[in-house]
Amino acid sequence: MQAPDPTPEARQQNFLRLFMACEPAIRAFVRSLVPTLSDSNDVMQEVAVVLWQKFAEYETTEDFRRWSFRVAKWKVLSWRRDRMRDRHVFGDETLELLAHEAETHTEKLEAQREALRECLGRLPAAQRDLVDKAYAPHTRIDSLAAHIGVTAMSLYKKLHRIRTLLIDCTRNALLPRRPQ
Amino acid sequence: MKELTPLQASWVLDYVKGTASEEVVRSLESALKTDGAFRAYFLEYLNVDGALSAETAAHPEVFPENVSTLQKPPRPRRWKAWSRVAAGIVFLGLAVALWSRNRAPYATVCAATGTPVPVGQAVHSQSLRFETGAVEFETAKGARVVVEAPAEVRFESGDCLRVFRGKVAAEVPPAARGFSVLTPDGGAVDLGTRFGVEVQNTGGSEVHVFEGEVIAQARGTTQKRSLHTGEAASLNVGASAARGLRSSSFIQPAELPALAAGLAAGQRDRANAHWRTMLKDPALIAALDFEGSQPLEGKHRIAQGRWPGSRAPEFVNVGDHLRVEVGGEREYAQLTLAAWVRLDHLGEPYQSLYHTDGWTANAPGQVHWMITQNATMRLALRGNTLAAGSDEQNGFPDSKTPVLPERGRWIHLAAVYDSRAHTVRFYLNGVFDKETRQETAWPARLGPAQIGNWNQQDRKLSGRIDEIMLIARPLSDEEIRELHDSGDPYR
Repeated sequence: MQAPDPTPEARQQNFLRLFMACEPAIRAFVRSLVPTLSDSNDVMQEVAVVLWQKFAEYETTEDFRRWSFRVAKWKVLSWRRDRMRDRHVFGDETLELLAHEAETHTEKLEAQREALRECLGRLPAAQRDLVDKAYAPHTRIDSLAAHIGVTAMSLYKKLHRIRTLLIDCTRNALLPRRPQ
Repeated sequence: MKELTPLQASWVLDYVKGTASEEVVRSLESALKTDGAFRAYFLEYLNVDGALSAETAAHPEVFPENVSTLQKPPRPRRWKAWSRVAAGIVFLGLAVALWSRNRAPYATVCAATGTPVPVGQAVHSQSLRFETGAVEFETAKGARVVVEAPAEVRFESGDCLRVFRGKVAAEVPPAARGFSVLTPDGGAVDLGTRFGVEVQNTGGSEVHVFEGEVIAQARGTTQKRSLHTGEAASLNVGASAARGLRSSSFIQPAELPALAAGLAAGQRDRANAHWRTMLKDPALIAALDFEGSQPLEGKHRIAQGRWPGSRAPEFVNVGDHLRVEVGGEREYAQLTLAAWVRLDHLGEPYQSLYHTDGWTANAPGQVHWMITQNATMRLALRGNTLAAGSDEQNGFPDSKTPVLPERGRWIHLAAVYDSRAHTVRFYLNGVFDKETRQETAWPARLGPAQIGNWNQQDRKLSGRIDEIMLIARPLSDEEIRELHDSGDPYR
């Protein structure tokens, strides 16, 4: 005898539970495949919608994250096709390589994101403040640069420097501890 | 890899800015393919970039100075700690209650349709994005706010909603007076009752007051504009200007429960099934549902249709129209026209549903289907005359029941013309309304035409059209009723 179909509410709750658990990983996966944060947010938005729409097709025997990554990759490819005319983007081979690597290292990248919170706390106040401002939703880098009185390029470089500092910090935090 | 070389750093920087040249992208690709350490660093770099965005996603932004003097919402105290947990939640409308039990919510979801947001969901300061459907929130003080997709909003407090894009309608009881809506172009503070705010994708915002009074202020100006019942204004940075009211452009709190119930009852599937059946009708001339990504010809906006995420052309500005060419230059002895329409303004002399381009004596039978200033339907065919004893004053067949009470809701309009029987029959929401007899009855003539206007000028429809169908046979009363019942978004 077949199990009865879940109610729409139960299905929705089930989706939310799975999606919420994987959302940071899916978001990071998408981020690894497109050039800018704004591209990533655009694609992620579509991915979330498609995941919900296709949730009926999701086989519960498959890992939800793996399924989500497949959908996300497919959305990135279609996003890229739309952008190819006016933007320079990676070719198929590079995207496949990055997708494979991002999926293989998803746990390591998750650990990096965890460590990042600690590292953010260690940033000098001025840099922390800059990160908060630059990454706040809808901030435009050129407007922010004008607001704080520097050129956009100079602000981009400052942010690049902060990101590399944070990478160093997260790498240190994740070094295996020597046995005492 | 300890760190990037200066050259690699410049590639990566160009890439994440979105300004990388072809040469830079190819250099990056080559390095990524051949250098595993660089590839690992590159992924970590993007991982940090994405995570920083998620970490700061819930931070409040600085309020535009002018707007903040109107109504500065209290800043939530522990927002930094909160932002860490709420970080980066992009909605389908997603559950955050799990993490926020200890803080009073700014609002609660009290109805939703077409988007998987649970009713009862508590909402704090997370960004909320909806690509489909509509959601109704209720604030602690009882203000009710409907957000229609596609939209992105965020509650700044229980008294203030920030709208990045989309349509929002608010109903504010006395206890919640002072509820404000902020947009990138300015803000609006409610002084009581009902208003709507639209932030367009193309920039610019509009405030529409359905009832009561609202103070609107464009960003970058000190001028506060008081808007009363029936008034509207556009806001752009540095300026505001009067606009015509479009109350029906907004799904208001009273409409949402019936829409949600219709969807839950499976009306969308029923409508699709019936639509597919109609597509097989051998007499079908044209059926337009405006779905798919094909651009439509003409000038108009695209809004949501009867179903979450569906598309409907919306006619707002003078000259807005949709061009179609169906039916060729053939003659049709019998013709049924049917459409789902959401009307806003009434009282204009004419609002076009379907107008053939021509209206000339040497091409009798050209079809003009419209709403008149009496809010009734008219089906005029060039060269036709009324039979003796008709009660119409203007020489054309008009329906009897005004569509006025249906303003701001989806309505189904149909007209059935039969030149052999010399009749025009009108239907409103599937119900037969009136038959008018014609003395002279030419076969109908189609061809190049406009929906929503005529000659792009003086017959603009004020509202949206979701589906329109032309069939070369007279549909029966029963068939028209089925067309309405199967496509009705309400329950």
